[in-house]
Amino acid sequence: MSRVFKGRTILPRHVEGEALVTHSGFNTLASFYKSILTRTETAICSDQDNKELYGKRLTGRILCLPKTIGSTSAGATLDAVAFMGIAPKAMLFSQRIDSLGAAGLVIADIWVGERICTIDQLGDEFLEYVKDGQRIVANEDGTVIVG
Amino acid sequence: MELTKEEKEILEGQKGSVLQKVMKSLVLYGEALGAERLVDIEGPGHFSIPFAIPGVGLRLEMLDELVGAGLSTKYPFTLDPKSPSDFENLFVNEEQKHSIEEMLVNQDAYDKRMLQLGLQDEEAYTCTPYFPEVGNIPNKGTILAWSESSCVVYANSVLGARTNRNAAIMDILSNIAGKTPLAGLLTDEGRRASWRIEVNTTSLPNPQLLGAAIGMKVIEDVPYIKGLDRFLGTEMNDTSRDYLKEMGAACAAIGAVGLYHVEYITPEAVEQGGDLLLPDYRIYPIDDSELESLMESYPIMWADKGAKPQKCLIGCPHLSLRELEWWDRNIHAALRAHGQMRVAVNTVLCAAPQVLKEFMADSERCENLKNVGVRLSGTCIEAYMDNQLCAREAVVTNSNKLRAFTPARMFLDEDLVEIIVTGRIEEED
Repeated sequence: MSRVFKGRTILPRHVEGEALVTHSGFNTLASFYKSILTRTETAICSDQDNKELYGKRLTGRILCLPKTIGSTSAGATLDAVAFMGIAPKAMLFSQRIDSLGAAGLVIADIWVGERICTIDQLGDEFLEYVKDGQRIVANEDGTVIVG
Repeated sequence: MELTKEEKEILEGQKGSVLQKVMKSLVLYGEALGAERLVDIEGPGHFSIPFAIPGVGLRLEMLDELVGAGLSTKYPFTLDPKSPSDFENLFVNEEQKHSIEEMLVNQDAYDKRMLQLGLQDEEAYTCTPYFPEVGNIPNKGTILAWSESSCVVYANSVLGARTNRNAAIMDILSNIAGKTPLAGLLTDEGRRASWRIEVNTTSLPNPQLLGAAIGMKVIEDVPYIKGLDRFLGTEMNDTSRDYLKEMGAACAAIGAVGLYHVEYITPEAVEQGGDLLLPDYRIYPIDDSELESLMESYPIMWADKGAKPQKCLIGCPHLSLRELEWWDRNIHAALRAHGQMRVAVNTVLCAAPQVLKEFMADSERCENLKNVGVRLSGTCIEAYMDNQLCAREAVVTNSNKLRAFTPARMFLDEDLVEIIVTGRIEEED
């Protein structure tokens, strides 16, 4: 059975894919750093402090998160992963988007031309409901269908 | 978002296509943050983009686009520390040297473009631009668009300036436009605290550990911290400033804190006290056991978990003159206590070029430090660890940020002095 959630569209795009869920803040630099530096074809989460994501594939997934956290290098990090073609398909925020996540995703969109579907304010219930590996459809109007 | 006539003209492309992209970025960013309008930036910038490394700095193509359009920032800016190319201070072997050179192959071109875009001067590289020796010290209330998480939190909390946590690249784009969205930490409401942190420890806690605990709990919220005045007093002096620098850096890198208030110490807390707390604030008490548990929870990320430490890197964030003197004094004292002439672990102390210059004015002191196996550098130890060969070394540090982002092992300052001198980690004995 699927459930529908509604959020605010930041960067609209229709995408479908597999959920990857973190209930703690997503540390953008720590998560992508190793993949960027070693120029891998697929990004694997290297944030040792995030027990839910460490070692999991980020590329092409629908990343479900409360917010991003960590170093302000995040803007350049998201620009780089978009440029390298190893970004997630979408970043779905349960809370209001933070300044680092917003900046990085906007920069990737305008300066790389790579749109990562971005929706925020999906609510705590969204993050409680969604599980790793579930099928997700995200629409341009901010609706997200889980399962 | 409501835009002025000039902002609209830029957005429509009347002042060139590159500036149009700059403004489009700012407007989308501002709308995402819920800003009603943009406001003018009122002082010099500080940005976290000194390296020609994708993922940390701007791509060279993007820099060329900005420089090619003749754009530069409204005010001069300072940058995070220089890339790790002062090899004589870093104890690197030939293989590591070549690997770092390869990693930074575009660095000279990058540095040149930064000067063209408004970098203050060729020495303006540090993550402590707010030290008096460096001089990028914003006044209370000044609107800025800074990045580098440790600088943002210091400027907001210790100096009372107003900047959001701007991401790398958005920092320089904002300062080129001379505008930043009026949102978050720029507003009075955004600077109020939603957490009351009660520091109940029996002595002054390690700042990088306390900062990490707070950052992990409050994430990006504003904490109002009680209890530190018992140890730091109420006067803002070099000791308290250094402590708050270290604590803030960990709050910001492990969590996403852009502003904290410390009761009786930081400027807004002195002025407004508990009125800074929002009505529905939450409470997080911190005692000795909470911090001990946190320290014990850190995994060893070295490939060989039982390895002997090979290198010690200190100065993330960069050390103050007082801190440099502390390490100098304590390393020499431990050497005397152990009857040794040299440290067992090659050690690098990092600080701003201007701070190092002041420290090195005492040439005998510097020579003594060099002779015992300790070097001084103006580089960024995190960037050093970005190199995969360097990251394989068994590095010890006192920096929680370095621990979180690299395989380095973190130790408390006093323990680290012993490790530097003896080469042994207590738990292995």
